[in-house]
Parts: sequence; structure tokens; C-alpha cells
Amino acid sequence: MDNITAKSKDVTLLEVLDRVLDKGVIIAGDIVISVADVDLIYLGLRVLLSSVETMERIRGAPFPSPMQEAT
Amino acid sequence: MQTTERQLVYLYCVTEEEPKLRKVECLADNLYSVHHKGLYGVAGDVEDSEFGEENLKRNLVDLEWVRAKATTHEKVIEGIMEDTCVIPFKFGTLFNTNDGLKAMLEVYGEEFKTILGELKNKQEWGVKIYCDIQRLKSGIANRQPEILEVENEIKSSSVGKAYFLKKKKAELIEQAVNKKINQYGRESFGLLKDLSSAARINKLLPKEVTEREDDMILNSAFLVGNDSVHDFVSLANSLKTQYEDVGFSIDCTGPWPPYNFCGLPKLRGQNG
Repeated sequence: MDNITAKSKDVTLLEVLDRVLDKGVIIAGDIVISVADVDLIYLGLRVLLSSVETMERIRGAPFPSPMQEAT
Repeated sequence: MQTTERQLVYLYCVTEEEPKLRKVECLADNLYSVHHKGLYGVAGDVEDSEFGEENLKRNLVDLEWVRAKATTHEKVIEGIMEDTCVIPFKFGTLFNTNDGLKAMLEVYGEEFKTILGELKNKQEWGVKIYCDIQRLKSGIANRQPEILEVENEIKSSSVGKAYFLKKKKAELIEQAVNKKINQYGRESFGLLKDLSSAARINKLLPKEVTEREDDMILNSAFLVGNDSVHDFVSLANSLKTQYEDVGFSIDCTGPWPPYNFCGLPKLRGQNG
């Protein structure tokens, strides 16, 4: 349709994780990945990206502003 | 489909029409659908040695494992979504047996049907806006009269006064940058929202995770009617070109499974 449908082209692992880990229907199955487990994943992700000084930034935004939803 | 000792049931998504599995069968072993009272759960058998509670915890810190499994999760749902409306489940939703999955469908069945009704003929699109803050800064410093005035004053000031004026200048630039980012983010979000039936703002992600040089300033998701998708994408395109030069960039992706718009109690009335 339009050239902007970038999905197949350059969807990063992040784009996928940003959705499949945090969103989607969360129903208590017999086993469900907990919030703590999700933190583990992001931790693993960051260790692999070898960035240490960013620990607290994952929760903060470069410009914390009213645009960010309070969750 | 028999549940042998070491198998668990991994749920990908729920549909109302019978899902066509042929396209996705190559993506994961033992995919099947579980029918219960007018709904289908698209599921697959997985090994307890991988997905059992303790084993899962161990695997979640293995990025390559997560990458492979999260990708499979996404691809299976996308494949099913090509033919019918889906409710995507969170990565790693597991049941001990098919009966457990059916029991869940029994409990939430009516709500799932309501959600599927709301999602019919709509697509989820994601829009992330990034800002090259240095570029935006230099543009602002060279243009805003207020800032240029301080700049001139600095040139004709003593060292001591210049020090404070420089601080003032930096503050003015910072303020102007924040204002511009908010304004651009808000305007873009508002315009895109007008073409959507629902919209959400999500948490911003840091550079280390986005693997980009510029900063994310908006992370949003939209539920767009099939009829409006063309306009929506065109709008995203024009917003993209409009402010490219000052340092903003828009990343528009879709259609995604409606991860952001299938919250159980929240679907109605959320964010307008």
C-alpha cells in the first residue's frame, strides 16, 4: 500500500518485546510470566547490549513530561 | 494433542472463526486449535523442560532464547491474523492441559466475544516518534529572537556577567526544546488519534533498548478502522516529512495484532 509499512523491514526485537511482554491479554494461566520475570528479560537484554550506566533510565524518559502516561 | 507427561499447552491467541493453521504450522511444533463454545484457542505443545516454571525463569535471561520464542509467538499470531480477528495473549501464557485452557475459555468466553466484536475490521498500528535533540537545539539557538538577544548581550559583557548570561541562554534553549518536543508530540498524536477509534500512549524506551542515536519522545499505539488505514499511514508519512529537517523522526509500523486494545475490563472507554 504505502512505503511506510515498515513491519517486515526493520522491526527490532524491541518492537516485538515491547508488545508481547507487556501487553496482550493477561489471564492467569497455570503459568504466566510475572512482572519480575519481564524485568529479568530487559535486564538480560541490557547486559547483552553492555550498557551499565543506564540502569535507572529504563524507567525514566529523556524528557519526563505530561506526554508520558502515568502507569 | 494428547498431553504426555512433559508437555505444556502454550496459548497464542483466541479467535471466533476457526483459525487456518496451515500458514503457521511451519513456525512451531504441534500447533492446534482448541474449540470451546464458539471460540478457538490457538495453542501448541511445548516442553516442560523449556517452559515449566523454573525452567522458564532460567530461559528468560537468555536473550537468544527469548528472541527466538518471542518471534515465534508474534509470527504465529500474525499468521492467524491474516485470516481472522484475534485476541493476542501475552508471551508465555501456559496451561498444564487442554482442559485448563478450555476452563479459561469458559470463564472469559463472553468477554472475549465482546472484545472480538470491537476489534472487527480494525488494525493496530504503532507510532514511535524520536528526536535528535542536538539538532533541534542548534536549530532553536539560531532562530529564536529571545535567545539571539542573549547571545548578543554575552558578546558585550564582562566575563562574570557572560557566565550568568550563558547559563540563562542554556536554560532558554532547554525550555524551548522541551516545549517544541511536547508540542510536536501532542500535535502528531492528536491528529493520528482523530483518524483512529482508540489510542494509547505507552512508556518511552531508552536508547540502549531502541538501539537508536536519537531519543524516543512518544511511544503510541492506535486502533485504526480498515477504511481509515490509508489515511492514517498517509498522515504519518506527511508528519514525517514535515519536521524531518528540525530533527524529528516518525516510525510507523503495522498492522500489529491488537496487543494494546484487548484489555479485559478496560476495552470500553479507555482513552476515548
